[in-house]
Amino acid sequence: MATMTYLQAISSALRDELRADERVFVMGEDVGVFGGAFKVTDGFFEEFGPERVMDTPLAESAIVGTAIGAAVVGMRPVCEMQFSDFISCGFDQLVNVAAKMHYRQGLAVPITVRLPSGGGFSGGPFHSQNPEAWFMHSPGIKVVAPSTAQDAKGLLHAAIHDPNPVCFMEHKHLYRRIKGEVPEGIYETPMTARIARPGSDLVVIAYGAMVHTALEATEDIDGAQIEVLDLRSLVPLDVDAILDSVARCSKVVIVDEANANCAAGAQVAALIAERGFEDLDGPVIRVATPDVPIPFSPPLEQAVLPSVERVREACRDLLAY
Amino acid sequence: MTSSPTEATATLVDVTMPQMGVSVAEGTIVSWAKQIGDRVQADETICEISTDKIDTEVPAPVTGTVAEILVDVDTTVDVGVVLARIATEGATGASPPPPPDAPVSGAASVSAAPAGGLAPPGAPAPAPPPPGRDAPVSGGSSRNGTDGPRYSPVVQRIAAEHGVDLSAVAGTGRGGRVRKQDVLAFVEAAPEPPMHIESPYRPDPPPAAGAGQLSRMRRQIGAHMKRSLETAAHCTTWIEADMTRVQAARARLGVTALAFVGSAVVAALREHPQLNATLEGERYTQHRDVNLGIAVSLGDDGLIVPVIHGAHELSVEGLAARIRDLAGRARARELTPDEVRGGTFTITNPGQYGSIMATPIISQPQVAILDLEAIVKRPVVVTDADGNDSIAIRAMTILGLSWDHRALDGALSAQFLASIKRGLENV
Repeated sequence: MATMTYLQAISSALRDELRADERVFVMGEDVGVFGGAFKVTDGFFEEFGPERVMDTPLAESAIVGTAIGAAVVGMRPVCEMQFSDFISCGFDQLVNVAAKMHYRQGLAVPITVRLPSGGGFSGGPFHSQNPEAWFMHSPGIKVVAPSTAQDAKGLLHAAIHDPNPVCFMEHKHLYRRIKGEVPEGIYETPMTARIARPGSDLVVIAYGAMVHTALEATEDIDGAQIEVLDLRSLVPLDVDAILDSVARCSKVVIVDEANANCAAGAQVAALIAERGFEDLDGPVIRVATPDVPIPFSPPLEQAVLPSVERVREACRDLLAY
Repeated sequence: MTSSPTEATATLVDVTMPQMGVSVAEGTIVSWAKQIGDRVQADETICEISTDKIDTEVPAPVTGTVAEILVDVDTTVDVGVVLARIATEGATGASPPPPPDAPVSGAASVSAAPAGGLAPPGAPAPAPPPPGRDAPVSGGSSRNGTDGPRYSPVVQRIAAEHGVDLSAVAGTGRGGRVRKQDVLAFVEAAPEPPMHIESPYRPDPPPAAGAGQLSRMRRQIGAHMKRSLETAAHCTTWIEADMTRVQAARARLGVTALAFVGSAVVAALREHPQLNATLEGERYTQHRDVNLGIAVSLGDDGLIVPVIHGAHELSVEGLAARIRDLAGRARARELTPDEVRGGTFTITNPGQYGSIMATPIISQPQVAILDLEAIVKRPVVVTDADGNDSIAIRAMTILGLSWDHRALDGALSAQFLASIKRGLENV
């Protein structure tokens, strides 16, 4: 076991895969010589060469399209979007070509698209989004969103090994803030939910950076036993784990950093309304970013992103219900 | 009930408690088949009633809409009392839907209505204000304007699983709301179930003879009998009759002895019409037709007295057929109200078990009732045409006549019994 940051864990997974499997290669804007905008692929170009660490033009459609072609002929490409926001330029390749290939032609498309996402660092409206729900709405794509270093590495291994297109939502704000013990070598983290902290009075359901917000917010609310469920995977969604938590806790707060409308949390709330109704002891409460673009202004950005205080207040309110 | 805005044009037709029989003065509502606002066709059942004789249905006199229901279930009212009113075609029911363009008094959200009028019924409700920080969790007790406490799904489920009466659970949530932990604590605090299951053996309870509420039929029979005993000056006269010829004739015709007794009674009533009569208060009425009531046992439930109307027009075989038909339908509970009404004289016949004498109670407002008991073979003295006496074995019965001393005297009752006897012995 080694202690790694979230970012180092992602680098470690990529490096291990490049070393272990000749079919794996990485491509993206500035991933080669520059080592990546966030330095995830720092040193890769030197170790694996330009054939396996490919700098591309600023053309996300071309990046995803190239990866799809390579995957269909047997490669295991890993694309980096410099910011997840930029995937909109490659949207057609991802949701219409990659996601539907297996349904239309029976061909597997084992690509991994790394999507550095999330706000909290004054990145503004084009560099702070959480677009996971866009892909959840496209059948054929898996969507994972790790919150810890260990899961970041394990889920990236799982994504690269998976025969389906996988969107790997890596949260930029966690890159260097989060550290943890990470097992040596290649291992897969299952695409299931994880109980980040067990509890019985209320469950906060979150994923990605919001898991840490939820843990901090609920550390001590008048001694209540508050569970935090880290979804880890949004597609597939761990229905059993969610319903199990609801059955035990009966009160639910769902936190999304994404804009509230049709977010992953909305899907979870719908699931609970449909299948967890008899276990509920109060309304299902959502805490999410309001339906506005992420502002540049640091105070405004902090005002819209779900804060520790907002989550705590929602929990306190629901506990008293 | 809201008032109709169209009372000027409303035509309301009364539904009254029907006359179910000569002696029936009142009836009890058993159930309403229609409610206020329901459409009803003419002759369709509007309610079920019960009299001391029979349960029956009251048909609607007209087609229309039930506008008023005036008598509650289990309430007893006199014959002729208005039970309900039906608004006929052209008249509007009691609760008409407001016309679409009528002003809606008290309607909320007027401020959200588009200019030029209220929103059409199918229009989406105005959007609620966007939830603020504290908006999502609101108190549960007064939402939707519902009174009384509201319980969450999990609280209701736990309560159902443990048989908990939620009104007994103290709530610690907002506004005293019962939360999951409250009902769980209540269940926890309940006495622990015993370690060992109790033996299922229970000694037989002492016989509960007489325990429990009398059936409606029993109550009605009882009330009728008490009323008759309090009303009439009962007196009972017996006569012995030789049924040997009747026994031979009934075997030949394949009918019951009761039919012959009925026939003899009809003939005797024609001879003594003072007994084919009713006495109500001080009003004594002799009837031209003989409407012969025949008591039919319904086993443990009680008895009922179907009436053979125009019995004087029937032969023995005709009487036998009518008795068979009425008794069968009485036991099948298929009699109509008309078939238990209008009796002028009654015969009761419990003799099949071997009893030989009884003092029957008159069915009010008739003035007499004849009791036919068992026909048994006895040694009796018979006299032949030459006046010689001998002892012979004859099929004998004792006929008992209870009569009302207010309406007649003993001599007349004896003559009447003698007339029956004569009829039976000369079949």
